[in-house]
Amino acid sequence: MPHDTPAAPAPHWETSVYPLIITAGLLVFLPLAFVFKFVYHQPFVAVLCLGVGAPVMIYGIAGWVREAIGGEHGEGLAFPAMGWFILAEAMIFVSFFASYWFMRLNAGTWPPVGSVPMPVVLPLVMTAALVLSSITIHLGEAQLERGDQAGFRRWLMLTVMLGLGFLSMSIYEWSHLFHLGFNFETNAYSTIFYTITGFHGSHVLVGLGIFVAILIPALRGRINHHFVRTGALYWHFVDLIWFFVVSQVYFW
Amino acid sequence: MSSWKEWIFTTDHKRVGILYLIGSMAAFGVAGLMAILMRIELSSIGPTITADPSNYNVWLYFHGAAMILGFQIPALTGFFANYVIPLMIGAKDVAFPRLNALSVWLFYAGIVLALLTFVIPDPPDVMWTAYPPYSTITRGNTAFYTFTVLTLGFASILGGVNFLTTVAYMRAPGVTWNKLNIFVWCTLAAFVLQLIFVPVLGTAVTLITFDKYLGTHFFDPLQGGDVLIYQNLFWFYSHPAVYVIFLPFIGVVYEIVATFSKNPVFNYKMVVYGGVFGIVAISGVVWVHHLYVSGMADWIRIGQMVTTLMISIPVGLMVIGLVGTLYKGAIDFRAPMLWALGVVFLFLIGGLTGIPLAIPSLTLHLSDTYYVVGHFHYVMAVAGTFAIFGGVYYFFPKMTGRMYHEGTARWGFWLTFIGVNIVFWTMMSIGVDGMPRRYYDYAHFPQFLRAHQLMTLGASLIGVGFALAVINWIHGAWKGEKAPDNPWGSRSLEWTTTTPPPPGNWAEVPKVAEDWNPYAYGQRR
Amino acid sequence: MFRHNTVLHALAWWALTGSAALAAYPPTGAVNDPARGWDRLWHEVIVDISVLGVIFAAITAWFVIRYRRRDPAQEGGSFKLTTASAVGWALIPTFVFMADDFYLAAKGWALWNDYRSVPAERLEVQLESGMYSWDYTYPNGVKVQNELKVPAGKPVLLRMTSRDTIHSHFIPDFRVKEDSMPGRVTYLWFYPEKPGEHIVTCAEFCGVMHSYMVGKVIVVAPADFTAWYEQEAARLAKQSAAKPEA
Ligand code: HEA
Ligand code: HEA
Ligand code: CUA
Ligand SMILES: [Cu+2]
Repeated sequence: MPHDTPAAPAPHWETSVYPLIITAGLLVFLPLAFVFKFVYHQPFVAVLCLGVGAPVMIYGIAGWVREAIGGEHGEGLAFPAMGWFILAEAMIFVSFFASYWFMRLNAGTWPPVGSVPMPVVLPLVMTAALVLSSITIHLGEAQLERGDQAGFRRWLMLTVMLGLGFLSMSIYEWSHLFHLGFNFETNAYSTIFYTITGFHGSHVLVGLGIFVAILIPALRGRINHHFVRTGALYWHFVDLIWFFVVSQVYFW
Repeated sequence: MSSWKEWIFTTDHKRVGILYLIGSMAAFGVAGLMAILMRIELSSIGPTITADPSNYNVWLYFHGAAMILGFQIPALTGFFANYVIPLMIGAKDVAFPRLNALSVWLFYAGIVLALLTFVIPDPPDVMWTAYPPYSTITRGNTAFYTFTVLTLGFASILGGVNFLTTVAYMRAPGVTWNKLNIFVWCTLAAFVLQLIFVPVLGTAVTLITFDKYLGTHFFDPLQGGDVLIYQNLFWFYSHPAVYVIFLPFIGVVYEIVATFSKNPVFNYKMVVYGGVFGIVAISGVVWVHHLYVSGMADWIRIGQMVTTLMISIPVGLMVIGLVGTLYKGAIDFRAPMLWALGVVFLFLIGGLTGIPLAIPSLTLHLSDTYYVVGHFHYVMAVAGTFAIFGGVYYFFPKMTGRMYHEGTARWGFWLTFIGVNIVFWTMMSIGVDGMPRRYYDYAHFPQFLRAHQLMTLGASLIGVGFALAVINWIHGAWKGEKAPDNPWGSRSLEWTTTTPPPPGNWAEVPKVAEDWNPYAYGQRR
Repeated sequence: MFRHNTVLHALAWWALTGSAALAAYPPTGAVNDPARGWDRLWHEVIVDISVLGVIFAAITAWFVIRYRRRDPAQEGGSFKLTTASAVGWALIPTFVFMADDFYLAAKGWALWNDYRSVPAERLEVQLESGMYSWDYTYPNGVKVQNELKVPAGKPVLLRMTSRDTIHSHFIPDFRVKEDSMPGRVTYLWFYPEKPGEHIVTCAEFCGVMHSYMVGKVIVVAPADFTAWYEQEAARLAKQSAAKPEA
């Protein structure tokens, strides 16, 4: 059983200011902004909340990463922990897919009226981009194992580019569909389509966020192997989920 | 750092735990106040203290949501898990202390959002179940419910990730899986359930907010949506959630019962592998018992009747383990033990009254009546709260380094014990006679007036009893006698450190003997 | 060997109780009123769970009284279980509980079938619920609100839907309820034997005035019903003739 105890320093209460800062930022940035915009129709206050909350939260995250990258707090366990977290994430997708099939199987005709033909080529290109990015991050990890930090950084940057490419294609596609008159409110299919792809896209974004949080210190030569492995695991998960999304929502 | 900063910026599991305790008790207090308001309103036919049914609905919404999501789950998987698990497994802290602090602050964010109910215009009035279409057309602010659930749920998920990792990797040498305290097993199982099911709840409530505010059509049959999607997602979480509550609370009761009867847990492996694992295995396939009258297909209602009934097997094994632990014990009736023994009896009533509900043909009459309300108050609100109160008394000397007042603790126990039986037994009986739940007024059921008045009276007894306990703690933490390190003579690891435990818990990693186990009491071998 | 015996024994028991329950089914009689079946099953289940509860509670109480700690240093004296007895203590209760579960399931299943199989000879009424009323439509187009008049001695089937939120049509006297909701059609039936009045109340939270959503089932003698029914139909015909092309 792994249990290493370095010579214990004099006992004192451990503290960190960042969890509280992140929470405060999050509270203002998500619930309050949403409620002001959509419930009370005060877009100005909402923007204010975003403007205050988001930077506070990002500041908190940056501070946290700075504190944690030294790794004295047992972050070697981040990898298995990420496994549990992915289980939870996967269940969100399971719920979406369950809702999707519940609607679809109970519907008389599918897709319901108002739907438009889905693009075929673009989703395939997007799939290719994501698969490639899974490979590049894997290669990056391999470089790191071999101690080649510069190589790692190159592959990591390539991965980030591929992810960004994926997201821009996604945005392009959404706006294309919007112009065809297929938006959130069109019908049940559009509802579930945008929810699932949007939710997946937000995961790509979070994955990219993790990579940026690894890349910035890496440029200054500070690399935490456990972080890299953990981030990569998350990325592979996001990639894997995409197969379900693309096959069921676009092509099935 | 000054000492208040050491509290609010703390990443220490013990302090995080105490923060959880304070927050969840505040939720309990406010939600209990709502219960009292509801009871007063129901003490006469027609308007009593408010003429607007919306007020009642908001109280009821807050009562249900806050009791479950703000009080019991955080008290059990937040406070107890945090305070006790690292001590029980001989760890210095959890695997990710900073993440832990994030969890507790997210929990407070959720509490803040929930409390905003009382200041915003058009507060949420959707009941804790928030079924659409009502929740998507009400004037009430459903978004606040969604965000309350999301923040609390996120806190739970982070907690789950943290504790599963902690127990898997940070046990002291010699603390093997088969020597874990029952409480640790139970809580791990609860966290596994949280990780699997909370995201589903999160999705469900998010979709309501999408439908209501962003114009999507998940639950709108005119556009191809379906109102039953929500109910399925909601109960797919909220049924397992009852075991998220049940498992840790019965775990706490196990600790108390073993310690105060100085007996090893009866048939440990049966309890863990049959009871705890069995519950986890079945809990995900019984949710339709909340949809027996909702118009789901007949075949699925029948199938889930069988699985629901089968839950009695692992739960029954856990009850046997508990009762067996008393056999040939040396039972000491200190306050924690009183509360724990109360749980055994009250849980039997609550659990067994779930059996008729599990049978869909009986539920066609019983569903959505006060019978259901009586069932779940016995099993959750009463058994669960008694376990929590007993547990707080049990760990009180360790946490504060001081003793509570024994006499007050007993008085509190007996008052609540009498009160809950008056209130919740009456609920079940008027429920069988047809009293529907979520009624602001019961003008067309005048025959239930006396019963409602009796319940209002009983509720005030409960209130006084619980208040005595809280006062006792506050007073004890402040002025109580100094407590020894191990006042109960327990063999479990958490009692081996000094009282209250220092930062890092032990000067060095505790070493356990070959034949140690947390329940190694005078056993004839 | 021990284990095998336990399994076999329990299986045999389970098979016996299960088949006994099935043998009691199906019940006989012209109209098989589930409300009576409800009362019968309810009593059986209550007896069943009370017996279980009393056994467990009595044992607990007995242990608690019997094994009080007599001197502060005293420790518990339970035996360490042998592997065989540990397994037995897990398996025997498992099969005992399972037997009871299956027994109850079989009983419940039988009653469920009564609830869901509607007699062919029946009065079929459409129900649309809304905030906050029950709107019934008879086969001949007659509409009533909140007061459903039905003839005694004939099963009544309601086909239900809702125009807004979810409601639940609950008739406590007939031991039956089922939700109604937009986008789906659900059903329930009941058997009004004798003339009389029965309250209908809404059992699903549907909005602010949920607790005031109340109606009545008025059971009248068949002849009275026919008279009323035809009179209403005639009035309806006159009305629609008066304003053509509605
Ligand atoms: C901690 C919380 C908790 C727990 C543990 C349980 C446990 C159980 N519950 Fe309960 N329940 C709730 C909390 C809980 N419930 C809540 C909150 C609601 C309402 C939600 C709402 O609508 O707002 C609810 C509602 C509810 C319903 C839906 C009613 C309706 O709305 O129509 C049903 C139906 O099946 C049900 C059944 C059961 C069963 C079978 C168990 C079983 O797990 C019980 C098992 C225990 C025993 C059986 C006793 C001990 C065992 C033995 C002594 C062994 C021998 C026994 C036998 C062989 C039978 N519960
Ligand atoms: C754990 C959960 C829990 C707990 C503990 C309780 C406790 C109580 N509940 Fe409730 N209840 C629910 C969960 C719970 N309930 C749920 C989920 C619902 C369904 C909601 C829905 O329909 O959506 C419900 C519904 C419900 C109803 C149904 C209303 C209706 O359908 O119209 C009623 C009616 O009487 C009721 C009453 C009570 C009473 C009298 C108590 C009493 O036991 C409360 C006594 C407690 C106090 C009075 C507080 C005293 C404490 C202090 C004084 C300490 C103060 C502390 C500090 C200041 C730090 N509850
Ligand atoms: Cu209609 Cu409640
Ligand atoms: Cu349930």
